[in-house]
Amino acid sequence: MNWFGFILAQCLNALSQASILFFIACGLTLIFGIMRIVNFAHGVIFMLGAYVGYTANVVTGSFLVSLVVAPVVVGLVGMAFERTLLRHLYGRRDGGAYLLLTFGLAVVLSEVIRLIWGVQPLGTGIPDFLRGVVIILDQPFPLYRLFLIGLGVAAAIAIWQFLERARPGLLIRAVSQNSEMVHALGTDVDMVRTAVFGFGCALAAVGGVLAAPLVTAFLGMGTSVVIDAFVIVIIGGMGSFLGSIIGSVLVAFVQVMGAYYFQDLALALMYLLMLLVLIIRPGGLLGKED
Amino acid sequence: MNWRLGFVVTAAACAVLPLVVPQHSLTILVEALILGLFAMSLDLLVGYCRLYSFGHAAAYGLGAYSYALILTYVPLPLPVGILLAVAVTILIAIPIAWICTRSTGVSFAMLTLAFAQLGYAMLFRFRDVTGGSDGLVGIPRHPGPLGIDWFQSKLGYYYLVLVCLLGSYLLCRAIVRSPFGAVLAGIRENEPKTIALGYNTRAYKITTVVLAYGFGGLAGALYAAFAGFASPELFFWLTSGRVLIMVIVGGAGTLIGPILGGVSFVFLEHQLSQVTDLWPLIFGTIFMAFVMFAPQGIWGILTSRFRSKPAAPNSDSGKEAPGAAT
Amino acid sequence: MPLLECRGLTRRFGALVAVDGFDLTVEPGEIRAVIGPNGAGKSTVFNLITSVLKPSAGQVIFAGEDVTGLPVHQVAQKGIARTFQLCHIFPALTVRENVRMAAQAREGRRWQFLGGGGVLSRSATAADEAMARMRLTRMADATAAMLSHGDQRLLEIAMAIAQKPRLLMLDEPTQGLSIEETGRAVQILKDMLAAGDLSVLLVEHDMEVVFKLADNITVLHRGRVIADGAPAAVRASAEVRSAYLGGAQ
Repeated sequence: MNWFGFILAQCLNALSQASILFFIACGLTLIFGIMRIVNFAHGVIFMLGAYVGYTANVVTGSFLVSLVVAPVVVGLVGMAFERTLLRHLYGRRDGGAYLLLTFGLAVVLSEVIRLIWGVQPLGTGIPDFLRGVVIILDQPFPLYRLFLIGLGVAAAIAIWQFLERARPGLLIRAVSQNSEMVHALGTDVDMVRTAVFGFGCALAAVGGVLAAPLVTAFLGMGTSVVIDAFVIVIIGGMGSFLGSIIGSVLVAFVQVMGAYYFQDLALALMYLLMLLVLIIRPGGLLGKED
Repeated sequence: MNWRLGFVVTAAACAVLPLVVPQHSLTILVEALILGLFAMSLDLLVGYCRLYSFGHAAAYGLGAYSYALILTYVPLPLPVGILLAVAVTILIAIPIAWICTRSTGVSFAMLTLAFAQLGYAMLFRFRDVTGGSDGLVGIPRHPGPLGIDWFQSKLGYYYLVLVCLLGSYLLCRAIVRSPFGAVLAGIRENEPKTIALGYNTRAYKITTVVLAYGFGGLAGALYAAFAGFASPELFFWLTSGRVLIMVIVGGAGTLIGPILGGVSFVFLEHQLSQVTDLWPLIFGTIFMAFVMFAPQGIWGILTSRFRSKPAAPNSDSGKEAPGAAT
Repeated sequence: MPLLECRGLTRRFGALVAVDGFDLTVEPGEIRAVIGPNGAGKSTVFNLITSVLKPSAGQVIFAGEDVTGLPVHQVAQKGIARTFQLCHIFPALTVRENVRMAAQAREGRRWQFLGGGGVLSRSATAADEAMARMRLTRMADATAAMLSHGDQRLLEIAMAIAQKPRLLMLDEPTQGLSIEETGRAVQILKDMLAAGDLSVLLVEHDMEVVFKLADNITVLHRGRVIADGAPAAVRASAEVRSAYLGGAQ
């Protein structure tokens, strides 16, 4: 066995995993940056994306279409939630209300998903045009995972540029830092919040659509994901976009290496990682404090 | 409302209840009381410290599995088995409490969730011992010590659970009305100030988490001995979610509210699940409505109608702990 | 032996040196005021003494014991009570309960889970005393959040008194108080000091209060002590004047 090729394959594996994690974590961190809340429902949103994507795929027969439809639908759901419910909690002294409300959303959405799609895992598998393997250094590597890496990198660059250069992106960063000032300058901050919340949910949905061919859409896929995303955001720093990239890569590597070397404990590894991070730095490692 | 009178009347009513309802309802009654106890244990954290735990299922699961595993190897009498299970739960809760209280807010919630998920994962990892997804079945309850066996029957077990619930309630009530409980109120209302006054709030929080786990573990052990089996579902996040819902909707910070929340939940769940598949959805929606519009919960609403002014510490004239919010 | 001694306290925030080589002593029974223009570092000094901030360098000695960097609650237990610039109370609790919580902190058996009636009644009595001193008794059953800003400040001072401290640290206690309330607070503090066994360290902007109360004044400017002594001497100091008038470099 080509040892170097093996390592490379593991790295690419981790990067493809990081890609999916990035979509979720990025959404979570953007939402936190703009609203100072951790969206506990984020894992279930991810799950919703997987299910909606599945249906879109089945209906239109196209994976790419589902990759567009699911984020749009889920993004709208997110925006509706923020507009109608979450908004009412601004200004409440008790930060716990957000936690509870987004948690309630998680429960409700879980049930809705169960009612609509049933308890059986659903999946159409990897789309045909992305099946197959690519040989890299004598190692076969799934094309789909390369696609994931490519998409992740493209998205990361696009979002980064958007935040750096595009006017709406600058607006988002401004609101993250000082919403009152931005409001005083005449911008409808509420609308920015709604839009970002929707965007964050849309990103998580993309993650769901991308994950479904690998793990199928199943009930409960959101729970471990929300913890993963939280760990990433803690490591990378709450509200830090760059941090979500770094965190995703780090966590993905830990997961992949862990699954290989500590198979039995793979499940527990994530939780141990989070415990470790929060033990060392109860408030997070970089970026803004909780 | 004279508290003592209310308590005696309620206790008497609960004592008489199983004698006047059909036999098949007894199971539900027992489960209702157990859930009530479980919910009250979480109230210590959520209602009195404002520490939102999303992983309290861990306490329940630990209690249940501890009892189950102990009884698998040692045929102890029921009361001893339950006490031991609670002791084990408390022991395990100490490091958990120490770690979780390093953070507050969301991080605390996530840590508690992580521990519950960890427990869940461990059950599958060590499936030889824990039975994995099948869980443990055929968990016995033995008479004793000294040949006492009135709790072997369903009716007898009901009274056992009732005694545990009432006793735990009295204990919790005394705790929150004590100097210790007053500090919890301080932590809830303004932790930095409480620290500045000279209180080691971390130690208080750790203790409260351990207490909450203790009472939650008691509920879990009672459940395992009653149902005769324990499954991983006990550790699942939705279990944590349900008990959190019971506390908030019932009325956080009142002890009574969550008990009622737990009891009602079991009854409603039983009734509604026969009629519709939508009941978890309904509960989730009701929960969100309460979070938004009635955070003080049902009992909080009811008692605020009767409360004229906050009671002084140590008086029984109100349902107030020395530091309960006005 | 001085009750409180700060030796070379320094605190840096990155490149900014907020407090630089701060020395100060408070003798038993003394009232010392710390004054200085805005941004001079007065609150930072308070935070360093009470261990809310850890110093980059220097020591805090209280009653002969080095308390530098101890956990905040331990420093408080040594006998230091402090008020905050932004009023810190328990808004949802009653006035009486607020003060009682402070009084309870002095009780040895406050960890008591059950019963604890003795602790509760003793601290309630101490609270009643402190409230009476601050003339807050008629508001005892009101929710603290309902009080006017001035009364909340007085409540905070009552809480500090109830802790029966050896050193009372007041961070701008008269800020937001009316003239009448200020006069009341000053008189109460004077009475307490006359009763003995209390020292006061206070940060204050209101110069009249400072000159009425203080035995000694320490003047801070840009994190450094620029004057230290009796009020008359400080008032006369050219350096102090120019610091306040902004001429100093």
